[in-house]
Amino acid sequence: MNAAFDRELALAELLPPALLARLAANLAQLLDVPLALLDAGEKPLWGETGPADTRHPLVLELEPLGYLATAADPQRAAAAVRLLVEVLMTRRRYQMASMLHTEVVAADHAEMQRMDAQLATSEQRQRQVFQTEKLASVAQLAAGVAHEINNPVGFVRSNLNTLGNYLAKIALLHERLAQAEAAWNDLDLEFVIEDGTDLIRDCVSGLDRVARIVADLKGFSNVDRPEESIVDINEGLRAACAVIETGKPPGVQLILDAGELPAILCLPGHINQVFLNVLTNARQAVGEHGTIRIESRLGQDGAGTQQVVVCIRDDGPGIPPDVLPRVFDPFFTTRDVGQGTGLGLTVARDIVQVHGGRLDIESPAGQGTLVTIRLPA
Amino acid sequence: MPELDTDAARLTLKLVYYGPAQGGKTTNLTALHDQLAPQLKGEMMTLETQGDRTLFFDLLPLGFRAPSGLLVKARLFTVPGQVAHDSTRKAVLSRADGIVFVADSQLTQETNNAESFQNLADNCGRVGIDFGRVPLVVQFNKRDLPAIVGEDEVRARWAAARWPLFFSSALHGRGVVETYRALLEAVYRQYDAEYELGTRHGLDAAAFVAGLAG
Repeated sequence: MNAAFDRELALAELLPPALLARLAANLAQLLDVPLALLDAGEKPLWGETGPADTRHPLVLELEPLGYLATAADPQRAAAAVRLLVEVLMTRRRYQMASMLHTEVVAADHAEMQRMDAQLATSEQRQRQVFQTEKLASVAQLAAGVAHEINNPVGFVRSNLNTLGNYLAKIALLHERLAQAEAAWNDLDLEFVIEDGTDLIRDCVSGLDRVARIVADLKGFSNVDRPEESIVDINEGLRAACAVIETGKPPGVQLILDAGELPAILCLPGHINQVFLNVLTNARQAVGEHGTIRIESRLGQDGAGTQQVVVCIRDDGPGIPPDVLPRVFDPFFTTRDVGQGTGLGLTVARDIVQVHGGRLDIESPAGQGTLVTIRLPA
Repeated sequence: MPELDTDAARLTLKLVYYGPAQGGKTTNLTALHDQLAPQLKGEMMTLETQGDRTLFFDLLPLGFRAPSGLLVKARLFTVPGQVAHDSTRKAVLSRADGIVFVADSQLTQETNNAESFQNLADNCGRVGIDFGRVPLVVQFNKRDLPAIVGEDEVRARWAAARWPLFFSSALHGRGVVETYRALLEAVYRQYDAEYELGTRHGLDAAAFVAGLAG
């Protein structure tokens, strides 16, 4: 069916049956003779036509859209036609306006749905990007953790082997208890006891390290508290530093100067991600030798409101002036393919902004790079 | 596309008056209704509210019977000019076979004219009308007012455009019929071959224009 508002309407569409019957009955009463209403094809819609009837056309636009058939006096019939046409015009105005309204609303709705779908797609893409970046940093974290755990695990294993040999020696002593003193010296048990004590102390300290690394990992990824919580930002800084510490070259120094801070409400996992992203950049900037200085303190913004300020400064080559304006652009990276997604700073700034804070980068020529993160306290 | 009903021997053309708010589109139709005398002339239907501003559209039907017996009907519509009613404007513009762009000559209205013309081009694209091909006539209305852009300046600006240009004062009935006749000529050129107006229905351009303008 053609639903366009500007199509021409037939008599039956303009006058629904109930209205048609009421109008015709009243007109017949006024004319005092029977009448019939016919459509454009002269098919009766109401009443019956008689042999003496005259057909008076009902014209709304240019052609008759129906007829009034009656044997009434011509003047009276003409008046009845004029009355009917007035009603038809009013009905047509109303119907065209309502059809146009329907058409417009349907078109607007379709447009809104299209935009809604577009928005949903772009939101989904953003989430995917965010998730990808998060996964990349988790993978990096896992690699650091694996490397770090390998060390204590290695020497704990080696120590336990040695301890096993020592126990075998002590077992041999049992057989030679008779010649106790000579056997004690022969088996060098003085050394065994001394070294065994050292080994156990080493193993305990190694296991402590493993436990700390796992705790750092948990603290960083915040698996146990994914929601907003009130935390000390310094904890996050320490966790991110611990991750960076593991993979850095020996020539790189990491100095954390953590000032006294009030605990603030934030998404700790996300904030830790910010620190890790910025620290990763700093570590890559300094190369084999350099210093990364991390400082946290309580400051004030221009309006005197308290805020937590974290400065991360490296003494690397800095960011060239032509690159600096683009560092927040999504997918912008100066690193080789596969080395960076170009999302680290984008995500970091987004997270800080979501917390109502600011992330600024300065890189005066030859003086390294300073990243300042401000979060409302 | 013009709507051809072969059973009823009727060809219906939809002609749309487009332009910035209060530029005189409705006044154009009123003047045509008063001045034209084609064989068939319907009542003008207006749907104005909000103090003589068009909210939906106006409609003026005109028509004549060709020598072949074909009834040729022109249905003249106006769109609501106010920026906010773009969805309605788009719906009224849909299926247009010819367009008159009514610009407001006043110096203060130049930006509105440009925006409305751009909106016409954009909306043609959205409702599937080929803006490069649709018959279009441009009319600069309100020539009777004092602070208006000069005729030479308008002509210089539109010199490169391919559309016929007219100057009018719809309120005083001047230039309105000329604009309408120019549109009819363009419409005839566009659809003559496809609808065999000359070959089958005995209508040359002059007869077509005379029939619908009277």
